[in-house]
Amino acid sequence: MSTKQPSTALTSRQQLAAVVLAAAVVGAVLAPSVYAATNDPEDTVAVVEIEGPVNAALADDVESELADIRANDSVGAVVLKLDTPGGAPVASERMYKAVQRTSEQMTVIASVQSISASGGYYAMAPADEIYVLPTSTVGSIGLNAPAPQTSSPVLGPSGPDKAGGNEVQGWAEQQTLADTFVDAMMAERGDEFEIPREEVAKADVYLGTEAVENGYADEIGSLNEAVHAAATEEGLGEYEVDTRETGPDTGFPILLRTDTQVVAVHANDPGYGEVEPMGLTYVHLEAVPHVDTVERFSESDLDADRGGSGTDATGNGTARLAGGVGA
Amino acid sequence: MSDVRTLAVAFAVTLATILGGAALTGYVTADGAAPAPEIQNEHYVDGDAVANDTPGEATVEMAAATRSQTVLVDPGVEPQGALPSSPLALLGFGGPGVADRDVRPLANALIENGHDVGVYVPDPEQQRAVPPGAEQGPTQLGERLAEADAFVTFRTDYDERELDEIESFVESGGHVIVATEPDAAFDQPGAAALDATLGVTTDPGYVYNMAENDLNYQRVYAEPPESDAALTEGVDRVVLPSATPVGTTAAGTDVLRPIAGSELSTTRAPTEAPLLVRNDEVVMVGDSDFLSPENAQRADNDALIGNLADFLVTNDRTPPGAGSGQPPSGPTAPDEPSEEPPEEPPENRTAG
Repeated sequence: MSTKQPSTALTSRQQLAAVVLAAAVVGAVLAPSVYAATNDPEDTVAVVEIEGPVNAALADDVESELADIRANDSVGAVVLKLDTPGGAPVASERMYKAVQRTSEQMTVIASVQSISASGGYYAMAPADEIYVLPTSTVGSIGLNAPAPQTSSPVLGPSGPDKAGGNEVQGWAEQQTLADTFVDAMMAERGDEFEIPREEVAKADVYLGTEAVENGYADEIGSLNEAVHAAATEEGLGEYEVDTRETGPDTGFPILLRTDTQVVAVHANDPGYGEVEPMGLTYVHLEAVPHVDTVERFSESDLDADRGGSGTDATGNGTARLAGGVGA
Repeated sequence: MSDVRTLAVAFAVTLATILGGAALTGYVTADGAAPAPEIQNEHYVDGDAVANDTPGEATVEMAAATRSQTVLVDPGVEPQGALPSSPLALLGFGGPGVADRDVRPLANALIENGHDVGVYVPDPEQQRAVPPGAEQGPTQLGERLAEADAFVTFRTDYDERELDEIESFVESGGHVIVATEPDAAFDQPGAAALDATLGVTTDPGYVYNMAENDLNYQRVYAEPPESDAALTEGVDRVVLPSATPVGTTAAGTDVLRPIAGSELSTTRAPTEAPLLVRNDEVVMVGDSDFLSPENAQRADNDALIGNLADFLVTNDRTPPGAGSGQPPSGPTAPDEPSEEPPEEPPENRTAG
């Protein structure tokens, strides 16, 4: 048996001890990663950007980033970095729902840069706190829409409401859209608002200094201060900041308004920009440049030292945006 | 050999214990991705969330039993070839002037009760300036007014001669309805001259109501202060889409005021300024959309339109032009020359 082994060999007890020691060393090396794999430390504050016109592409990104954050245990808190005049109603609602869901799970703080109005305000309303800078713009809780008009009947569609509709029904639909927005904001921040629902529904915008007084915002503070507040709220000692960009990279689409409606202009290079009428929008109209203020320029204008050749007013968006736009 | 096996087992057991312990600890102490919470957004499913979109029905009825009268309507259509005066018309808002359908509820009520309805559209060919020294006859409008008993206008930019003719028309007992809009205050030269002629006023701005309205803050309800006026018989409240405050030079003649909670756009303060006033032969209303078929179906607009039709045909005027030219189908007998002919004053007043 083992006792008959040469004396220079380790005793079986010693061998066992050595093996156990070796296993312990290997285990000690691997244990942290095993532990980490099963229990990520919450040491990251995710900054999710919501910038530019609110549209489906932006909502796609924000939804997926927030879903990823909710599933990622290393993220302890979220800060929304907002700079948007609003946009499409459904896209606003999608972001609202995503922020609401995230807010159920962890601290979410909204940090408004220059503007978060209308659909942008909608999206950030479920945040635990709203940070604004003194001259940030927030508010515009309401629907932007043209007046429903009765037009002469169209032949061909299968039903009276397929193309065109009834004026009164149009008004009712618009009122429903507006009420949906206002009701949601009253549900989210009714306790904070210092003004009654009817005043909220006027859709006014407020500067940051006024917003912290009337309840449209909670604190005056920068993005960094919002991040720090979110980390503190979640008790994150040393934290990392993970910035998640959303929306398209190109800066398009941009929003423009004509005298009657808001249009989204998509880049379509080369060639004409693609102009998409938006109809009913949750947008703060004053923050959207009028098409007449946008000068048309083309390659030749840039080559020659002629300056911008702003064409005269009342052109339609498509024609005026040929070759690119500059505000 | 058994030693090697023993050692291997010992190594495996130790390693497994440590790693298993680490994994178990991790799982136990992890917050874990809890199942997504159910979120109830009651505000989306609240029964009040959806606005009632029933268009409603209208029954415009007249009570006045008078002889057939002639009502002239000036929808504000520009002479052919000219640009519409309203910048809104340029933008496609309602087109140039008031469309046929926009006054149909009123026009149909008049027609059904045996009255004549004429529409005035100026003919550009006849708008040439009169040569110096030549005697000026009545304007195209004056010619039409001469044959009419009542006048409904959506226009504001009458020239001096036309204003004189309108004034004479009123002085001879003709009834006039002026329907304006908040937009009209942006027109040039504006309605001040017409308002002065008729003894009415208009305030720039529109009335809105955030608390109680007809599907939009600008579609305000207006109610009669007292219900004994003929114009508001059967009217509890009407809907005026985009209305501007109006007034008269005579006191106590307002007919419809906005309901409580209404505010004026220029002041953002509560307003009770009337939206429809009557100054004897003249009714001034700060809205023109309330006559359209869709709006006639809202609240008691149909009753108001019927009352306005009665107001138009219940006048003291006998058109002197009924006996000459092309008389409209005989509103009056030509043997009542007691009224002052409306064509006379313009000839003497062109210098203003």
